Amino acid sequence: MKLDIQGHSGCDITIVTEDNELHIHKSTHDAGYVPRLVNQANKQIAASKTEYQHIRVPKIFEVVQTPTDATIKMEYIYSKNFVEYFESAGFEQIKYLIGAIKYFIDLEINHSTLQTVPSSILTDKMADVARKVEKNVHLKDDAEAQELVRRSSDVMNGVGDMVMPVGTCHGDLTFSNILFNGNNYYLIDFLDSFIESPLLDIVKIRQDTAYLWSTLMYHKPFDKVRLSIISEKIDTAIDEYFTEKYDWYRRYYMPLQLMNFLRILQYGHDDKVIAYLKRVIAGQLAILNNSKNA
Amino acid sequence: MMTLIVPIAANNPEYAHKLPQPFRLDDEGTMFCVKAITGLPKDVIRDIYFVILREHDERFMVGEQLAMQFRRHHLANAHVTVLDQPTQSQAETIARAIELNKIEGVVFIKDADCYFTTDEILPQNGVAIYPLENLPIVDPQHKSYVAVDDMFYVTNIIEKRVVSHFFSAGGYCFEDAQEFCCYYERLKDYSPLYLSHIIYTMLLDKKIFRPIQIDGYQDWAVTHVNQ
Repeated sequence: MKLDIQGHSGCDITIVTEDNELHIHKSTHDAGYVPRLVNQANKQIAASKTEYQHIRVPKIFEVVQTPTDATIKMEYIYSKNFVEYFESAGFEQIKYLIGAIKYFIDLEINHSTLQTVPSSILTDKMADVARKVEKNVHLKDDAEAQELVRRSSDVMNGVGDMVMPVGTCHGDLTFSNILFNGNNYYLIDFLDSFIESPLLDIVKIRQDTAYLWSTLMYHKPFDKVRLSIISEKIDTAIDEYFTEKYDWYRRYYMPLQLMNFLRILQYGHDDKVIAYLKRVIAGQLAILNNSKNA
Repeated sequence: MMTLIVPIAANNPEYAHKLPQPFRLDDEGTMFCVKAITGLPKDVIRDIYFVILREHDERFMVGEQLAMQFRRHHLANAHVTVLDQPTQSQAETIARAIELNKIEGVVFIKDADCYFTTDEILPQNGVAIYPLENLPIVDPQHKSYVAVDDMFYVTNIIEKRVVSHFFSAGGYCFEDAQEFCCYYERLKDYSPLYLSHIIYTMLLDKKIFRPIQIDGYQDWAVTHVNQ
């Protein structure tokens, strides 16, 4: 049996029955995307070797690669997406999820080492964002977007070298890349990150908990108030936990969250999403400006 | 002792020419919103506030009619609170009533469009629940559902999603009126805001809610919205 379903990344996702078990085949026929998909598979294979209590990683059975195509064959997980899960989760399930996220990121921190990330990583990335925004037909004549990019460049130039844990991260730890199965949470769609730091995973999860990014991409009806209440609860818990524990989180979370949204903005093509991104970035710049003046 | 609040401040376009259902009379001449509280234990209730809209009062003279109902049913401790403007949610109606009447301590909220009996209401956070299977006819889309664990604590309350065979029967107890108002203030910008959202937020903050078991549930107006 083969069942084609829609994925997020542009890859083909197929559910396949083999030996009476369901498998997922994720494949690309874009030669340019092949290395990215293979790296994703390798990162997922590496992550699946670590025990994370309630956080789990679907097993990869095989990676088939040619110069023009790649297919990852992996375990199928019976699960809910984040909206379905939050729509029915009791308070104890939310408590378990918060605990699992903290545990997972703490384990990543333990598997990383404190390193100095040179300031050029951030400033080079900012220059790259500025170039892409300049070339984006939806943004190049948008004076507000250009001004936000200019002000963001000033912020990035002022950050300097950053000392933070480097070594392990998921790379795209948003709610849409978590499959919810009871009190077990399966991580999918690992990605290379421009800094392989657990801090980038906190940035990505808070992209959803603080800014509700993934709900913007969700088009079925759902209880937005309930989801916002849950997101705020998770966000406060994560923020308080890491603020209390780590100086690098207090110092670098906000500039890296700004960079995260700038990197989304650079590919913006939908007016509604661009307006949302500009609002978020303006808000982040205001917070950074206030903290600088405090 | 506790304060009982009956919010009836929803505005609905049809109320421009039609008496809202909670103000209509049953066969014995009792207003439905008054009948809605007659199954509650009187000995634990200090004051009762029926919260209505000025617009409805002026159009249908419901304030005077309520006063007659109070005399007839010997409700000497019942009062009418008139709001000048419609509220955005039932939670806002309750918060306004608490603020205007300077209510403190335990409050019990009773929906005006349903009836139940219960022998005891403890002065603690709680939600009245009733099993779906006890209803001859069910309209599941217009109810919120309450999940209860083995120790009989409320673990979840959800709008319009059947996650439990218990539904919320339209009675809510908050052990601290001021705490309720704090949660309302925190959530007031959300829309549509239901009481279930406030209770769920309190559950997430580790506030304990117990189910209140009731009998004889009657649903008078599943299609009417009562704030």
